[in-house]
Amino acid sequence: MKTRRDFIRSAVLGASATWTLPGFIDRTFAELGEEASDRSTQFTTGKDGTILVVLQLAGGNDGLNTLVPFGNDAYHKARPRLAKKEKDVIRIGDGMGLNNSMPFLGSLFKEGQLGVVQGVGYPNPNRSHFVSTSIWETADPANRSNTGWLGRYFDNACEGIDPTVGMSFNKSTPESFGAMRNPGVSLSSPELYRWIHSGGNRAEADEFFSELNQPGNDDDEPVDGGSIEMPAGGKVGGLSGETNLDFLERVALDAQVSSKQILEIAAKHRTKVKYDGTPVARNLNLVSRMIAGGMPTRVYYVSHGGFDTHNGQVNSHDRLLSQLDSALKSFFSDLKEQGNDKRVMLMTFSEFGRRVSENASAGTDHGKASCLFVVGGGVKGGLYGKCPSLTDLSQGDLKHTVDFRSVYADILGGWLKAPHIGKILGGEFQPIGLI
Amino acid sequence: MLPKAKENWTKEEARHLLSRAGFGGSLDEIEKFHKKGREQAVDFLLNPEEPRDAFKLPEWASKERAMADMRGRIEQFRETQEMSKGLSAEQAEELRRKSRRQMQMENKRHALESQGWWFHRMLKTKAPLREKMTLFWHDHFATSVQKVRQPVLMLMQNELFRGHAFGNFRELTQQIVRDPAMVLYLDTQSSSKKQPNENFAREIMELFTLGEGNYTEADVKEAARAFTGYQLNRLNGEVIQSARAWDDGEKTIFGETGPFNGKNVVSLIFKKDECAKFMVSKLWEFFAYEKPVDAAMEDLAATFRKNDYELKPVLREIFLSREFYGEKSRGTQIKSPVQYLVQLLKELEMDSAPLGFPIMGQTQLGQVLFMPPNVAGWDWGKAWINTNTLLTRYNLAGKLTKELNEGSGPDFKKIASEPQRNETGRLVDELISRFFCVPIPAKARDSFIAYADTKKGVRFTDKELGELCHLMLSTPYYQLS
Repeated sequence: MKTRRDFIRSAVLGASATWTLPGFIDRTFAELGEEASDRSTQFTTGKDGTILVVLQLAGGNDGLNTLVPFGNDAYHKARPRLAKKEKDVIRIGDGMGLNNSMPFLGSLFKEGQLGVVQGVGYPNPNRSHFVSTSIWETADPANRSNTGWLGRYFDNACEGIDPTVGMSFNKSTPESFGAMRNPGVSLSSPELYRWIHSGGNRAEADEFFSELNQPGNDDDEPVDGGSIEMPAGGKVGGLSGETNLDFLERVALDAQVSSKQILEIAAKHRTKVKYDGTPVARNLNLVSRMIAGGMPTRVYYVSHGGFDTHNGQVNSHDRLLSQLDSALKSFFSDLKEQGNDKRVMLMTFSEFGRRVSENASAGTDHGKASCLFVVGGGVKGGLYGKCPSLTDLSQGDLKHTVDFRSVYADILGGWLKAPHIGKILGGEFQPIGLI
Repeated sequence: MLPKAKENWTKEEARHLLSRAGFGGSLDEIEKFHKKGREQAVDFLLNPEEPRDAFKLPEWASKERAMADMRGRIEQFRETQEMSKGLSAEQAEELRRKSRRQMQMENKRHALESQGWWFHRMLKTKAPLREKMTLFWHDHFATSVQKVRQPVLMLMQNELFRGHAFGNFRELTQQIVRDPAMVLYLDTQSSSKKQPNENFAREIMELFTLGEGNYTEADVKEAARAFTGYQLNRLNGEVIQSARAWDDGEKTIFGETGPFNGKNVVSLIFKKDECAKFMVSKLWEFFAYEKPVDAAMEDLAATFRKNDYELKPVLREIFLSREFYGEKSRGTQIKSPVQYLVQLLKELEMDSAPLGFPIMGQTQLGQVLFMPPNVAGWDWGKAWINTNTLLTRYNLAGKLTKELNEGSGPDFKKIASEPQRNETGRLVDELISRFFCVPIPAKARDSFIAYADTKKGVRFTDKELGELCHLMLSTPYYQLS
């Protein structure tokens, strides 16, 4: 079946391309807007209406001070200055507690809407931020893949090439969006996400602009089967054999098409719930407005940075967790107000945990296994995975007990109902039963 | 040796060299550059006449002033402590906070000044390759003021890069080990004999000299011991490796054993063959194109080793090679945000940027000077472009071309004279040769002309010319260099 995007694209690129096309695109979006506003639930591209929000804790979150093994002597011994005592945690299991900077997540746990996975990692862990982030985002511990796990989901499980199937509110496109066909869109603010003409007759200028910002050749079919070009550093969006100019033309068209859609929705929907001014809260607020407006987006991506706590980590780490907790509280009350809370699941991840022993600067160095959260009405709440030993270590670090790709398998299969999970993850992984 | 290009060269080739080895230029500048001839143009880039101190550093960045400021801060800290005696815990905290805030404000102001200073220098310099290489080193030995906090240390590091812009790679690496900003950025100074911090040892091998796969985890662990004991004297900005805090035991690195210190580790690294190839490949990708042919890099690496890691011979070989001017190289690079901004100003005949424009542009496009995202530096190439940053580039060009005030906007008289404006076809062709490094398809040229015709009216004023420029700049073609 042709999707709207395929339709627009073939019309734009077809022999019939004329000056009247931008007007045609306008009409399409006006109709789309009406359709969305008529529905109480979301207009989706997939078979079901579930949505995933991926929240990156950038820098390497200290799992041991997030999910605290307060009952373990080895923990207190390794961290004389940093260890959390029983009074500093929200108890969620035998000798285990959540850092009490996260009261909202604590209450969700009690209500059974928070899954905490402990000991998450992967074989032969890498302690470099870049390599390990790359491994999590591509779901390839060999760090050879040029596409991301979400990008492969877009390519393999989502029909058509609607650019808004994935949306990142990050300055740069996350590696997990790296795709053969469709890397989603990235933006930091909807209001600026459009072409602003200098003056004069705007409608006319817009037509010329549209004409100039579409691929120059008619043969725009994505190349199948080849590998993706890897630019220095970034691994995003290039197709095999695609030159930088081809790439730019493709992005230009995506920008033009998605801009109208996003602007319309952002202008229409405001939320009643109050959010903090932190970047993570602001971005979750945007996600909630997009959901309220009926974007066809299946996956949203936001980031919360600053977790590279090499020194003086006590206050900074607690503050980061508290910002996270507060942002999530606003986000989920907002979704509840909209009636969309059952349709959204949020997963956190971080490139690695930190060393068990604190360092001389009252901080912690890069480590290995850590914990992550899966939040939402669709989650079977509870504590998952086996708590890693604090004495049987790998070079001073926790050994992982759960492969992160098992968590992805759960989310892809159980939540997003994606086919071809083995293909997306590059192997079969046993889901851990979160959903 | 890479096969050389012939001495005769076209204006398009001159434009290519000036864009890649510098930040492009106005039509006049390219004309002059072309007239030098290929070999002399390269000599001009490598041996600039402009002295290194041609741009006066901000007052506060002189060493004497910086030291005095630091003493002042320590004094202020003491005073705050003194004053908080007898105060309640809360009042004392408030006092401390106030003092801290004052320092933060000052740091912030200085950071902005540093960014403005360097950007202006890139725009105005007569030694473009020196600034381009300084940018290269800033990305390579990435350090961010966000963690270092003291802008004066960032400027000192910037001057170090400028001094070694095309000097010796090993010497620069030795210097960077003892660079205050780097020491703070990678936590070298909190690495103790008892608990060595692996951050610096890992990054120096992975990112600075050898690349992943050319060392083992054991090498990192052992090197971390050698890099212990570094101490920064905040009063004079000097870094020493203290004999007492340094782990003086035997270490085995790359199969050699000895009581190595930091300097020794750098020497060991530069004995490895992989080092030269790692660096020449990175230079090639920065100046020419991604994923070069392996054999060509072997050739360049041989030149680099033969010249004991001196950069000039390598850069000279690159800029005189046939391949550098080949099809794979010309007009194929996506401009980095800083490149985009500086080049745009030059091509619009602007002597200076409107207030706040450079920093706003850098922030929105994802490359802020003195603030690379992490120690790996920026992601280059396609990674600069997504739907958001592309639209932002278009809109920044719109802001500039709308600036019609004398002095703060483009010099439209220089861009197109009255007679030139009379015939839209000729006008568009003039503008195409001003703005684009890639051939423009006939269809796009037709669009430009059609648009110009709708604008023409009675007279082609600066306003309409600005709008035409904006449309031309709002295209995928303009993103390429």
